[in-house]
Amino acid sequence: MAANASSWNPKPNRKKILLDILTYAALVIIIFCVDLPFISMFGTALKGRSEALSSPALFPAEWKFDSFGQVLTGTTFGNNIFNSAVVAVTVTVCCIMFAVCAGYAISRFRGVVFNFYSVFVLLLQMFPGTLMMIPLFVIFKNLNMVDTLYSVMFAYTTLNLPFSIWMTKGFFDTIPIDIEEAAQIDGCNQFSGFLRVVLPISMPGISTVGIFTFINAWGEYTLASIFLRSDSIGTLTIGLQKFVLQYTSDWPALMAASCIATIPTLIFLLVAQKYLIQGMSAGAVKG
Amino acid sequence: MAMSSSKPARKGKKLKNNRLGYAMLVPATLLISLISLYPLLNGIYLSMFDYNLMRPKKRRFVGAGNFIEILTKDSEFYSTLAYSFIYAFFVVLISYIMGLCFALLLNREIKGRGIFRMLILIPWVIPSVVAATNWMWLLNDQLGFINRTLTGMGLIGKPILFLAEATTARVTVIFTGAWKSFPFMMITLLAGLQGISKDLYESAQMDGAGFFRSFYYITMPMLKPVTTISTVLMFIWTFNNFENIYLLTRGGPVDATFVLPILSYYTAFLRSNIGYASAIASIMLVVLMILAMLYMKLLKNRETYS
Repeated sequence: MAANASSWNPKPNRKKILLDILTYAALVIIIFCVDLPFISMFGTALKGRSEALSSPALFPAEWKFDSFGQVLTGTTFGNNIFNSAVVAVTVTVCCIMFAVCAGYAISRFRGVVFNFYSVFVLLLQMFPGTLMMIPLFVIFKNLNMVDTLYSVMFAYTTLNLPFSIWMTKGFFDTIPIDIEEAAQIDGCNQFSGFLRVVLPISMPGISTVGIFTFINAWGEYTLASIFLRSDSIGTLTIGLQKFVLQYTSDWPALMAASCIATIPTLIFLLVAQKYLIQGMSAGAVKG
Repeated sequence: MAMSSSKPARKGKKLKNNRLGYAMLVPATLLISLISLYPLLNGIYLSMFDYNLMRPKKRRFVGAGNFIEILTKDSEFYSTLAYSFIYAFFVVLISYIMGLCFALLLNREIKGRGIFRMLILIPWVIPSVVAATNWMWLLNDQLGFINRTLTGMGLIGKPILFLAEATTARVTVIFTGAWKSFPFMMITLLAGLQGISKDLYESAQMDGAGFFRSFYYITMPMLKPVTTISTVLMFIWTFNNFENIYLLTRGGPVDATFVLPILSYYTAFLRSNIGYASAIASIMLVVLMILAMLYMKLLKNRETYS
């Protein structure tokens, strides 16, 4: 259509092409600046130690993967990654289960409790984390849960719940209730209708919630730094911080560790970009 | 935060089996009450005690004592409070400007939009520990890419001490904070832009309005609801955020980049002064409650709109 238009109306079209080129140029330049920390992380991780200190270039003359090997075999970082994976997966599964139930209840049932609950959940995520962090530390200490992965698992699941409940509620709201009524006529009770009919349709929404939760749990630092104090139990953010303090001059190793910590979130971003954006914009726009 | 309030098609047609509804709320409620709500109330309770973890046996009730001390004697609190507001304000402002520019660029129908959008989301998804480490490397005095490039081009005589000098550090953490959070702004604004009908622009164009006029008279007013909600929300998140600054400067140099969460964290876990730290956090709660009420009011206005 554009080619067609140019034959009889060349002026606006030329203007459009010029604007497109400017848009691309602007996007490429700004994105380079925005992703600079990220680009330099990969570049530095592939450099040798002496090259990182001497050459200011973003990428090395020759790619070396030594730093990755050094990080994975010579340190406890592998252990930290394993801990983080266990925590993030457990938290994601639990959070989805609880959020789906609560979100469904708020979306489908009428009554003061359900109305109140949605407001309550919304307010909950605005409270200062530091205020509950202190008593939570005291509680976990009394329960002998400090220095166990259970402490962060419980904490992350709970802290991710309000947001996840809101999201799932929003997705259930878009599913017509008639579908369930039809299922009930076919002999499902309400709960099995929810399991067999509603859940399968809402898989996209549920996976968004899962991705959000996973990214949050994978990269959380503050609570982990308080609850996980011994070396063997640390999650990857703790391991990385320890690195920063210990190997201040070994930048390639630090950057290699950072790369490893980033890769899972990048994969999630790639796979779930569309859902992620839907979820992010849902709150402010759908209103 | 997904929240859909517009469901006129099903009005009054909700399910009746409330017992099942209550049962489905139980697991989430249990966790939230034990791990969010109870600690929160407990935190407010603890703020009324002189309670030091080093000598837990000597816990004693002081009523409003901690609050009086903070509000009347603690100059560190006031400087921290001031910087907390400055920090959150500028982070939101810069994120908004950056987010709007990107959203306008990406709202044009160009090829490869999805890839650009993804590349912009990177700062938002990478773990904050990784982000901080990357910035420390880029901003390093002697070896950092930015200082090396700037001196290499002859733009600066000696390296900029991004994180070691009070004023520069304050500015630097604002920029890294905005860098981490602007993608959220961009996505919400982009969604808002896509909701504006193309007809409006076309008729404005026919009336002879150029880009700036239609931006001012159409885009900005139409984006107003999205703008207010997402800026208030981001202000709350930024005000609450601990990691972005802590991981980069630890609140330093000296205490130039202290914000309230860092002050409360240090008071609790370094000085072991649990009561005083809880009081600081309770004051934060009051500030945030006011903001949260504003947010809820804005949301309500939106609902009556649509």
